[in-house]
Amino acid sequence: MEGIKPFEFKQCVSIIKATGRKAGDIQALRNIMAEVSDESIFHHTCQYFLKGHFLEYTNEFAQWAGEGLEESALSERLSNIDPYGYKNISDLRSELLNVLDICISSLPKTRKAVAGGEFYFNETITFTFHIGLKVKNLAEFLLAVKYVESAVIYYHFYEARIRLGVDDFSAWIEQTFDKKKLADRIRGIDPFMHSIEGIREHIVEALEEEIKKDMEAISG
Amino acid sequence: MISQYSQIVPTGDVLLMQKLAEKLKGRSFLHINSTKAGGGVAEILHRMVPILAELGIDARWEVLEGDQRFYDITKKIHNTLQGNVETFTKNMWDHHYEINRSNSGKISLDADAVLIHDPQPAALIEFRGKGKWIWRCHIDISNPVKDTWNYLKRYCRKYDAAVFSVARFAKAMGIDEFIIPPSIDPISEKNMELATEEIRGTLDKFHLPQDRPMLLQISRFDRFKDPTGVIKVYQSVKKYNDCILVLAGSSAADDPEGEIVLNEVKEFAAGDPDIYVLLLPPFSDKDINALQRAATVVLQKSTKEGFGLTVSEAMWKGKPVIGGAVGGIPLQIVHSVTGFLVHSVEGAGFRVRQFLNNPDMAKRMGEKGREYVRNNFLITRQIRDYLSVWYAIENKGRSVIDL
Repeated sequence: MEGIKPFEFKQCVSIIKATGRKAGDIQALRNIMAEVSDESIFHHTCQYFLKGHFLEYTNEFAQWAGEGLEESALSERLSNIDPYGYKNISDLRSELLNVLDICISSLPKTRKAVAGGEFYFNETITFTFHIGLKVKNLAEFLLAVKYVESAVIYYHFYEARIRLGVDDFSAWIEQTFDKKKLADRIRGIDPFMHSIEGIREHIVEALEEEIKKDMEAISG
Repeated sequence: MISQYSQIVPTGDVLLMQKLAEKLKGRSFLHINSTKAGGGVAEILHRMVPILAELGIDARWEVLEGDQRFYDITKKIHNTLQGNVETFTKNMWDHHYEINRSNSGKISLDADAVLIHDPQPAALIEFRGKGKWIWRCHIDISNPVKDTWNYLKRYCRKYDAAVFSVARFAKAMGIDEFIIPPSIDPISEKNMELATEEIRGTLDKFHLPQDRPMLLQISRFDRFKDPTGVIKVYQSVKKYNDCILVLAGSSAADDPEGEIVLNEVKEFAAGDPDIYVLLLPPFSDKDINALQRAATVVLQKSTKEGFGLTVSEAMWKGKPVIGGAVGGIPLQIVHSVTGFLVHSVEGAGFRVRQFLNNPDMAKRMGEKGREYVRNNFLITRQIRDYLSVWYAIENKGRSVIDL
């Protein structure tokens, strides 16, 4: 095992900072969205999955359009935006604004949110830290993935996409063990269609099958 | 003490708390509020300060001392910040300032970080020393009477940062404003596991029958908690579902209105032997715990709420909960997942009947509620967040901090 780069599990925790800005209708949402910090756009899209994924949306803008304004078509379009599919937050913001502009131009009149139901723009300060767990082979890795907290899975599966463009798990597996098929299988898990626990189950399943295959190969 | 939490709370919370405490080790952290007992703030401080000390932080808790007039004024401030119209005079604000000024001479304000809880001690900022000053607002100020807020804001904007429980409460004051929900302590007397005999002991003590489902609301006797609305809910349920109602709460030293509301509630309930109105003495935490564990359905039918921690307390005990969709309650109750949010007496009555007639659904929501509280509303998460804010304002300008 000499020379193998271990996988070091990390976690991130975010504290929320209010920007003091709120939108009561789509036009205001669009105007403020054009001005707020990249951190705010990041929080309301990429960090959505930290919240437990109870609802049917994939970001907070879509959730508010659907539940706060009952603009279902807009909500569906916003939910279909993959926040990890853009080079940077600026490109993601442009796409969000584009969807909002199309919606605004097609609606004769936009609805207003009820008092107190406005969209509140927030941003975050994120702390990242090692959880004190390093693994060097797939068996150890499997065991760790099974038992680490969901916030750890979030950090390596979702947050990594902003840093690397792909999740940390598949990147390590491909680079360290040259297992491209397994890496592709993990990359193929739809990040928007599962809770973090669902993501964990899919990764565990892929790892268990791979380890079983390796064991069978060794035993002849 | 911390090792006791490690068995219960998310490990990431403990880890981050310890990592931040290493950075802030030996430095002083002063909390100031206006009551030693009663209400969620005092309750959390009782537990938080020893934990901070165990983490190596030089933590201290001081209580502002006021006269009766001061508490009458601050109750009016509290009410108007929550939207009720009251008459204010310049003289009242002067008295508020004067009490703060005299306390500044009695309390040492020298600390590396000072967390001022709620409006009562807010004017202490005028006497600040070195260190970072943070104003912690626990109440719903989303729709305040403007004059009151404008006056109070003169103090608040002098702080280095403010902390609100819910994003909707935050104000654009030109200082850093953080959103930190409050929390409950899973190993305190109020939330620890209890034996069946202990629960029965409390029920016997208050002569509560155990042969029918129990609806429960635990809260101060405060009109914003809508205790008479809860009686109406019970009356609407009772037609087809025999049950008892328990309204239980303690009074707080800084709440002069409590007794008036209690008498109103007793009068409203008069004549129904199945309604039990219990005024609990301070430090009745174990009895509250037992009542929550004995309840079939727990209500928190507030019409205004800072956060409504009794919701998390009941959810932590795996109980099905119905809450008014105000303040921080929607942050705790994910509608139809961890409980039900309601907007009226009728809505609350309907949901109580659903729970009483669908025990499996009640159990399922109760279990989800407990896990939701474990991940979001336990005290270690709140300590972690306070330390995070302190560290973040000392490292201003960084949106990602690698520890």
